[in-house]
Amino acid sequence: MSDGPTGEEMLLTRDGAAADLLVPDSGATAFPLAASEGLDRHVLRDLRKEEIAIARQFHGGRMWPYVAAAWGGFALWLSLFPLTMFGVVPLWLAFVVSCVLATGGYVTSHEAMHSNIRRPGARDYWINEWTGKVSTIPIVFPFSMARLMHLEHHYHCNDPLKDPDYSDEAPNALMAWYKTWFNRQPGVDGSIHAYKRILKEMGTPAAARALKDTMVLQLMFMAVLFTMAWSGYAIEAALVWWLPRHIGLSYIRFYLSWAPHHPREGRTGRYENANVFKSRLGHVMSMAMETHLVHHLYPQIPNHRTRAAYFALKPVLAKRGVDVSAL
Amino acid sequence: MQAAVQQLFKWMPFLFGIGFIAPLVAQTMAYWDLAAPFGLSRIAFGLLIGAPWGLYAVLRGRWV
Repeated sequence: MSDGPTGEEMLLTRDGAAADLLVPDSGATAFPLAASEGLDRHVLRDLRKEEIAIARQFHGGRMWPYVAAAWGGFALWLSLFPLTMFGVVPLWLAFVVSCVLATGGYVTSHEAMHSNIRRPGARDYWINEWTGKVSTIPIVFPFSMARLMHLEHHYHCNDPLKDPDYSDEAPNALMAWYKTWFNRQPGVDGSIHAYKRILKEMGTPAAARALKDTMVLQLMFMAVLFTMAWSGYAIEAALVWWLPRHIGLSYIRFYLSWAPHHPREGRTGRYENANVFKSRLGHVMSMAMETHLVHHLYPQIPNHRTRAAYFALKPVLAKRGVDVSAL
Repeated sequence: MQAAVQQLFKWMPFLFGIGFIAPLVAQTMAYWDLAAPFGLSRIAFGLLIGAPWGLYAVLRGRWV
């Protein structure tokens, strides 16, 4: 897709030389250079201006579907409890639906984390906040914690000490799936355990609030599971909440954290901290993560527009040295 | 208060073993029409699995 300018006409330096002619042949250098390393600061500045102009065309858009999906999904998820307990909906169907809602909830919540649904200061900003809050209840991940940790991930992407998601790194996809489970073990400093530690270290009022929210939500989760289980509905509790939560968390960790950032080591630069990759499950099933780099460059581009934004930005990204060969 | 909550979360895997795994085992056995061994009731058998497994998770820091 390329409704907007592709930018080819702007890839000229002031003296009229094509910018890509300034990119050295990597085979002729002692060290392999990314394309951007051969560009002078004037070209880089022009490329940045062009990049911003293209990206701006993809900011915003229709965001009400995220709100509808979040609230509708939450209502549907809640309804699965009585519907399965009274035998109205078969357990296998409730399980599949709950897995989809638990996983997809992170997408709607993610837009709210970046205040993409409503901007701070708007009179109806509460819509943004409540969209985020209800979205991650099925995975027992309070919005306040999710937002703080996700913004830390953006600020310190791929920093082994400061990126809260760095513990998801693994040498290959199989190990990555294993780590999504391993990091949730009670004694392992990964996933939500690492988040709790980081929030304690932050020590801010917002961090304290997030820790309190986490404690309340986790205790509520346990109270519901225990009550349902001892009332004769253990299988319903397992298939509507407990197991979908685990599957959702693993899927989210794999597709939203490992796949777009692997390999993480040493890749902290603006144009290298996320990958452009081709997912075996496709664009929708990978939750638009194939073009996650665009999200890191411009978090205000909503999830459903990152793919189109990527194809519009592709020529500029290629000039910057980004590997765009996958898509 | 904070110390009490920390202790509660420290022992949560054990409580999970009793509060959730035990009845889940018992009700799954009932669903598949399986009897508990040694003349035990299904919930007693579930507790024999859930409680030690949860305790193991507390002590070892891993469920397996």
